[in-house]
Amino acid sequence: MGVKLLLAKAHVEGIRSYDVYRREGGYQSVEKALKTMTPEAIVEEVKKSGLRGRGGAGFPTGMKWSFIAKPEGVPRHLVCNADESEPGTFKDRYLMEHIPHLLIEGLIVTSFALGSNDTYIYIRGEYAWIVDILEKAIAEAHQNGWLGKNILGSGFDCNIHVQRGAGAYICGEETALLESLEGKRGNPRIKPPFPAIKGLWERPTVVNNVESLAAVVPIINLGGEEYAKIGVGRSTGTKLISACGNINKPGVYEIDMTISVEEFIYSDEYCGGIKNGKRLKACIPGGSSVPILPANLLLKTAKGETRYMNYESLSDGGFATGSMMGSGGFIVLDEDQCVVKHTYTLARFYRHESCGQCSPCREGTGWMEKLLLRLDKGEGKMSDIDLLWEIQSKIEGNTICPLGDAAAWPVAAAIRHFRDEFEWHVLHPHEAQVRNFGLAHYADPLQVPAGA
Amino acid sequence: MVQFSEQQMQEFNRLVKRYPEGKQKSALLPVLHLAQESFGGWLSVETMDYVANLLHLEPIEVYEVATFYSMFNTQPVGKYMFEVCQTGPCMLSGSDDIIAYIKEKLGINAGETTPDGMFTLKTVECLGACGYAPMMQLGKHYREHLTKEKVDAIIEECRNNAARNN
Repeated sequence: MGVKLLLAKAHVEGIRSYDVYRREGGYQSVEKALKTMTPEAIVEEVKKSGLRGRGGAGFPTGMKWSFIAKPEGVPRHLVCNADESEPGTFKDRYLMEHIPHLLIEGLIVTSFALGSNDTYIYIRGEYAWIVDILEKAIAEAHQNGWLGKNILGSGFDCNIHVQRGAGAYICGEETALLESLEGKRGNPRIKPPFPAIKGLWERPTVVNNVESLAAVVPIINLGGEEYAKIGVGRSTGTKLISACGNINKPGVYEIDMTISVEEFIYSDEYCGGIKNGKRLKACIPGGSSVPILPANLLLKTAKGETRYMNYESLSDGGFATGSMMGSGGFIVLDEDQCVVKHTYTLARFYRHESCGQCSPCREGTGWMEKLLLRLDKGEGKMSDIDLLWEIQSKIEGNTICPLGDAAAWPVAAAIRHFRDEFEWHVLHPHEAQVRNFGLAHYADPLQVPAGA
Repeated sequence: MVQFSEQQMQEFNRLVKRYPEGKQKSALLPVLHLAQESFGGWLSVETMDYVANLLHLEPIEVYEVATFYSMFNTQPVGKYMFEVCQTGPCMLSGSDDIIAYIKEKLGINAGETTPDGMFTLKTVECLGACGYAPMMQLGKHYREHLTKEKVDAIIEECRNNAARNN
């Protein structure tokens, strides 16, 4: 049983309500921070904790905070990114639904650290019922003196507002989110200037993911150094993983990043193994945009070492033989799944979600979708596979925001590791319509070169 | 004529007050949600012009936003909209079969509305319910772990609700 910091109390009866949350030790970090710490000291603790942004990029949160500009007389803002939209990811939803006060608590401490008197939660529009849960939690926090004017006599004022998006993956990108929060289309901005200098309404702004902000609570309660002792290396603390696909127990799990991928998939504490007694074919370990790996490369690195559920181990081998922790959206494919078809649905997703601002992404995502559909339907040519590779390589790195990369990587990784499955679709167009390529050799033990 | 009721106006004022002076444009998305809920589940040009007027914006500022976000409908929709997810993780869990079943059951394709104006089927991309797939959004809530039996029950439930409200 690993350490649990965020979801330890998530199943206490009635924890969604203020009274129960407070009785279980809630809001202690606000007391500690506002009564005994300076904003600078809070930033320092978060730096010491080694917390890395939990939205997907993994950028050190404390460092991000330290970049915020503090020009005289200009208000600053904290914005919580609750626009969870990366396929495979549903951890923030779980946290907000089950233990909303944990997020509110983290937001108050962080608002104090950054000097944000008006803090916004930007939540994806489809999570409509969670807006009510959050607004209720905010109202309770107000009634009990944790929000409003002069909180705990500290002289610090803070209000939290919930803003609903309206269905656009791109708004999870922080500058697109800010555009949307300003009432515009979600077109990402060119950086610099970064939001820390010019963000919401051109004011200094920090945008953090829900899980990152919730993690501030245990960091302040335990102290940054203690928090950093959990986990391994630069993967400190705990991480929420949302597991889905062909497994026995889909759901959200909090892990301390010391367990192996194999244990995560097969132990009853987590995914409980592959559904219907089938075999593991492939997995996308960190949300749809990170590289898909065949079973053999997922469970062991190219060097034949055990792969672990942490930032470093999941990315071991780079994109050639590794993947990424990303958002923690863990998508499992069993032996009956078709990688070509699955990749097609992701390409369709990215085409749908491209904001249209940059040509490589706007045009490229459309072409990738068309080619993948053609291949899946058994109407593709061998040259289509090379063309797909060519297109993805021309999107990557050539767009304003990371959506281009996010669209390119899944296609690149699918061709890199499953090229023979693509070729089989071309060579056996009729067969490909009635059965799948299957497990093939994707679960075979890796050949580790001598002396590696 | 398109006009918020007194109660809707109160909600409008609450939404606008969340932003600093002069930044009322930030309320556009929430106000469009309110307008869509208030005026038949979609945004007509008249509705968008009304919102533009309320927020002191040019109509084009509202149109460009309304057409960008997938939750805003710029065409009329049925009384009940089934928004069924079809992205990777849902596909792995059988969303194709669910979509095919709904099409057959309602006699419409994705993007269409039944002739009686009761149901619209819309296929959507990932709604963040991957662990509870297959799923659909119906109004404010998610319906998860869908099976053919559950789809039948949901259709029945909608028909009953509609009959009760008539």
